[in-house]
Amino acid sequence: MKNITKLKTVVSLLLILGSSYTNAQITKAEIRATGLTCSMCSNAINKQLKSLTEVLNVETDLNTNTFTVTLKENNELNPKIFKDKVEKAGFFIGSLMITAKSEIISKNPYVVVNNKKSGVTETQFQVVDKGYVTDKEFKKLSKTYKDISTYVLNSEDDFHIKILN
Amino acid sequence: MRKLLFVFLTISSQTLLSQELFVVTDPASNVPANSLAVNIMQSTFKEKFEPGYNYHLMPEITYGVNKNLMVRGSAFISTRSNELYGEGGSVMAKYRFLSSDDLNSHFRMAAYGRYSFNRADIHQEQIEILGHNTGFETGIIATKLIHKLAISSSLSFEKALDNKPNYPFPDYLGNNATNYNLSFGKLMYPKKYTSFKQTNINLMVEFVGQTINENGKSYLDVVPAIQFIFNSQARLDFAYRQELISSMVRSAPNGFYLNLYYTFFNLKK
Repeated sequence: MKNITKLKTVVSLLLILGSSYTNAQITKAEIRATGLTCSMCSNAINKQLKSLTEVLNVETDLNTNTFTVTLKENNELNPKIFKDKVEKAGFFIGSLMITAKSEIISKNPYVVVNNKKSGVTETQFQVVDKGYVTDKEFKKLSKTYKDISTYVLNSEDDFHIKILN
Repeated sequence: MRKLLFVFLTISSQTLLSQELFVVTDPASNVPANSLAVNIMQSTFKEKFEPGYNYHLMPEITYGVNKNLMVRGSAFISTRSNELYGEGGSVMAKYRFLSSDDLNSHFRMAAYGRYSFNRADIHQEQIEILGHNTGFETGIIATKLIHKLAISSSLSFEKALDNKPNYPFPDYLGNNATNYNLSFGKLMYPKKYTSFKQTNINLMVEFVGQTINENGKSYLDVVPAIQFIFNSQARLDFAYRQELISSMVRSAPNGFYLNLYYTFFNLKK
């Protein structure tokens, strides 16, 4: 009987784990854009970001050109969409900080580059790939992460992330 | 003047790269991808060899094909023949091939080509395919933005063809030229941003020159301008063009510009 109870427990645990699977999702993105100082340029980025149906709200700090993008639940966005949108407006990403459900970092396109532990439910990280940091910063990071084989490949399909919290 | 006022009052304006949005020249930056910019440029210049002023109306639409390429179509309408007359049109494409951006600064370069047709009479040595001559132009632009100051320079080759059907390009004039410009734009207000709704004020000064390649005849103009940007969306420029030096025949070198600009963002998602 004991064994059957154990088995039941294991099975139900597995079921719970299975059903509690949710899309690993980004909840917030903080984008600092480069190459601009005018409010109309910021507005071009603002409008590009707001054109995404997954976006709930965009808050802009015009003095630092920082855009805080809040996203809808259960979106399936990855960092590349922010890069594409900023570049479509005619500018570039200087830094991209992302807040996401913690399970995201174990998912496929993400490669963690530091040893810091993420929060239990939510994690904050910075994308450190080329195109997500300034050119100067990327040169420095290329030296720091020269031993990470995927980092130096500059593939658009994976994201190297530095855990912040 | 009444027409000018009418257009001024009925059309609100807008644009994108304020300090770089020069009145008579283009920066290396483009309009955003999938966005359509509408510009109504008007100018009134004092005639040198006859009394009065001429009026030119140049409506223009610009579309961002992708992040690096934009295309533009323009129409040329003027009152040189005493009533509004459609003289011609123009198509241009500009490709940004270099971008080196950092926080609050950038250096960019672009190449462009333009073809224009015009059926008006040819009445001056100056070659101007924006509103006077049929012809083409090709050139490169370099723009540096450092915080609130933008500096832009361009170099181009311009060749005039016959203004068909009635006005062939005169044999005794040089039909191709080198154009050059140096432009400065500075954000004067606000000192600190508080919202998208703040009106921005930019001051600009552009030096615009041309040399006819065949005979070395040249001019150099200065174009000071003030630019207002409303709601981070609408733009209004007011500029004055003054000839500084010239060794060529120009029928109306000095006058005023009024620009109204509006951008429709994200035409498709």
